[in-house]
Amino acid sequence: MENKPDILEILTRTQTGEYCTQKEWDTKRIPGTIRNILKEHDLAGACDPDNPVNTDMELADKFYAAGYQAALELGFHCTDTERIISVTQGELDLAVEAAPSELLVGEGQHATLLKSRTPSDPYPMKTACTLGIAVSEEYWPAMHYLIAREPEVDLLNGGSLITIRGKEVLSSTPIETFMGYEHAQMHKEARRKAGRPGMGAIVSISAVTEYGMLSSYGAKGGYSTKDLALVLFPSEMKIDYRTLHKVVQVHNVGGAMKADSPAMIGGMPGPPEGAVISSIACALLQYTILQPQTGGGEVYDVRTLSNVNREALWAQSLSMQALGRNTHLMTHPCMNQVSGPGTEKLLWEIAASVAVGAVAGGTLSTGPRSAGGKLTDHITPLECRFMSEISHAASGMALEDVNEFVKAALPHYEDTIKEPDLGLPFQKAYNLDTLEPIPEWQAIYHKVKDECIDLGVPLNPW
Amino acid sequence: MAIDPKYSELVTNIENGDEDGGIEAAKGLLESGVDPLDIVQDAIMPCLKEIGDRFARMEVFLPEMMLAADVVKGVQDVLRERFSAIEVASEGRVVIGTVFGDIHDIGKNIVAAVLEANGYEVHNLGVNVDPKDFIKKAREVDADLIGLSSLMTTSIPYMRDVIDLVKESEVDRDRFKLIIGGGPVSEETVELTGADGWGENAADAVDAVRALMESG
Ligand code: B12
Repeated sequence: MENKPDILEILTRTQTGEYCTQKEWDTKRIPGTIRNILKEHDLAGACDPDNPVNTDMELADKFYAAGYQAALELGFHCTDTERIISVTQGELDLAVEAAPSELLVGEGQHATLLKSRTPSDPYPMKTACTLGIAVSEEYWPAMHYLIAREPEVDLLNGGSLITIRGKEVLSSTPIETFMGYEHAQMHKEARRKAGRPGMGAIVSISAVTEYGMLSSYGAKGGYSTKDLALVLFPSEMKIDYRTLHKVVQVHNVGGAMKADSPAMIGGMPGPPEGAVISSIACALLQYTILQPQTGGGEVYDVRTLSNVNREALWAQSLSMQALGRNTHLMTHPCMNQVSGPGTEKLLWEIAASVAVGAVAGGTLSTGPRSAGGKLTDHITPLECRFMSEISHAASGMALEDVNEFVKAALPHYEDTIKEPDLGLPFQKAYNLDTLEPIPEWQAIYHKVKDECIDLGVPLNPW
Repeated sequence: MAIDPKYSELVTNIENGDEDGGIEAAKGLLESGVDPLDIVQDAIMPCLKEIGDRFARMEVFLPEMMLAADVVKGVQDVLRERFSAIEVASEGRVVIGTVFGDIHDIGKNIVAAVLEANGYEVHNLGVNVDPKDFIKKAREVDADLIGLSSLMTTSIPYMRDVIDLVKESEVDRDRFKLIIGGGPVSEETVELTGADGWGENAADAVDAVRALMESG
């Protein structure tokens, strides 16, 4: 017997746990519990937007204690049965202790070693590009071949397919099941063609429900169990059977899982401080209930539909620091930009937000979310390269230095977060004959990169 | 507009999301002879508007908005009970949900709460809603409008399904207006699905709903 809580027993709590309507969970349990804990731990009003990277490690530890308490008081809510999956302190401690602190994703010379990190850890935060932005079938192969070819990109995630063999991919239908398997072939081909057949993959971004994933993960000819299966579940601390099917499948085939659910500033946990507590609690609970190998700790801001604004950067820095200092969990700061490809602002948003995740102690970051992830084909390999360069270079920096860097980066984009320039789609930002970025986009990249170097980020000059 | 101090207990309970307290305060007002329509127009409406404005400024958050709307529902039931002859003013009745295959709920919940704060009666069906369930609920509550949310291209066709079901039905065609929203939704999606309107954010949603209600 493995020394961790029995997942089957925990899953039965979706039927036997305390009954609580979803409305009660959303509007009373989550906000009420978090509000009380904020007060009890004297953390209300701690957010310092003038210093978007927290440098007070005592504060990080205080937030960890608050998040730990919230995890034990709350648990997860199963939205199918409206029952609460609570866990005991013993179970939580055992599960967090049993979670791995290292994981090799992929195979052979192109595999990537993920490691648990502390703030300013010299071991680099790794990247998985991109983030499920809808991509047309026509451009998917070239775009993903080019992303896999970027040497600094560690893992290949990818764009969500909107059609497969010209047919609309309609969620939960057999077309989704078909797409899941075929997408795996396309994904493998992109990595093979780029000369990195063993490069690790995130599985499967196009799978909107369990169908697309069950048809491809661990299936013969599909994704390998050395790839990382993606399990995203609804905030705040809600889980449903659809997602749990994915979880059980990963355990069944002996694969590795990355689980995530962003805490929402302005949503149920309220202010940035509340979202930090929710994010820590959610991470601790997911390792007890879903038992992934990696993931957790994300914060998102519903007011800016991103997390590149000051409060969100501050909250993201704290949740990573709290988890990085107090556990060996391998966390996931997912940074959500709003400007589009071909714009200078996108690169500044990436630089600031990814540097925060890297220096604060994140293990793996998925991105970028160009144009907020809203527009089809609005993502290019060049910003994937830039994100990965920043992630690797900013990892070992001092918190104070990244704080100064972020303060210098913010004025480049802060005024347009709510009305961003959505930029260009792949087919306009790249020359499809040469498969190179258009000169204007390339020049912007060089300019912002040089400025980041001048501001102290140790990027390799181009 | 300042709210008359005689309503302060009711207003405080709405702001605090205390349903029992709100109902007690409303009963007290009725007993002292205050006209129920005045309670709605002079206390509830301005109070909800103020909460909506505070939400826009992020001084209060989503749960406070949702709870305030609940208190108001409870209070309106009391007013209706006592004075069944009086139709308590509602701007209109909206059925809203996230369409099939999609579990993103935050944006839809914000829109639902903001519509409630603006005086609409909102029936929130949750996420992953089967197309037929929208119609069923809309018929059941005699809705004026159906609001569909989707954040994923893979679920947008389900919006079209709901809209087709309405447009193909002689009973429902002239009865329910259809409004859509969510990350990838745009003018183009409106054309693609045949919706009557769309909203880019919550404030937009209120304007669009209002415009559709006015268009009859
Ligand atoms: C948070 C999030 C999640 C959370 C959801 C948490 C929750 N409780 O809702 C989790 C982690 C669960 C999740 C899961 C997934 N997600 Co997701 N998610 C997001 C993200 C980052 C933000 C969404 C959000 O909450 N925004 C905040 C709210 C306030 O904004 P909003 O929803 O847009 O709402 C506003 C307006 O649109 C409008 N509005 C909304 N609804 C309505 C309705 C009406 C009637 C009107 C008038 C207006 C209106 O008003 C709102 C208020 O201003 C988006 C990225 C993005 N830019 O949207 C991706 C995104 C939607 N997700 C995406 C994907 C791919 C997924 C997954 C499939 C990933 C996977 N493989 O597992 C799963 C899907 C599971 C499923 N079956 O639904 C893709 C979709 C791509 C596509 N195919 O179109 C996106 C776009 C990410 C990306 N590409 O960058 N996700």
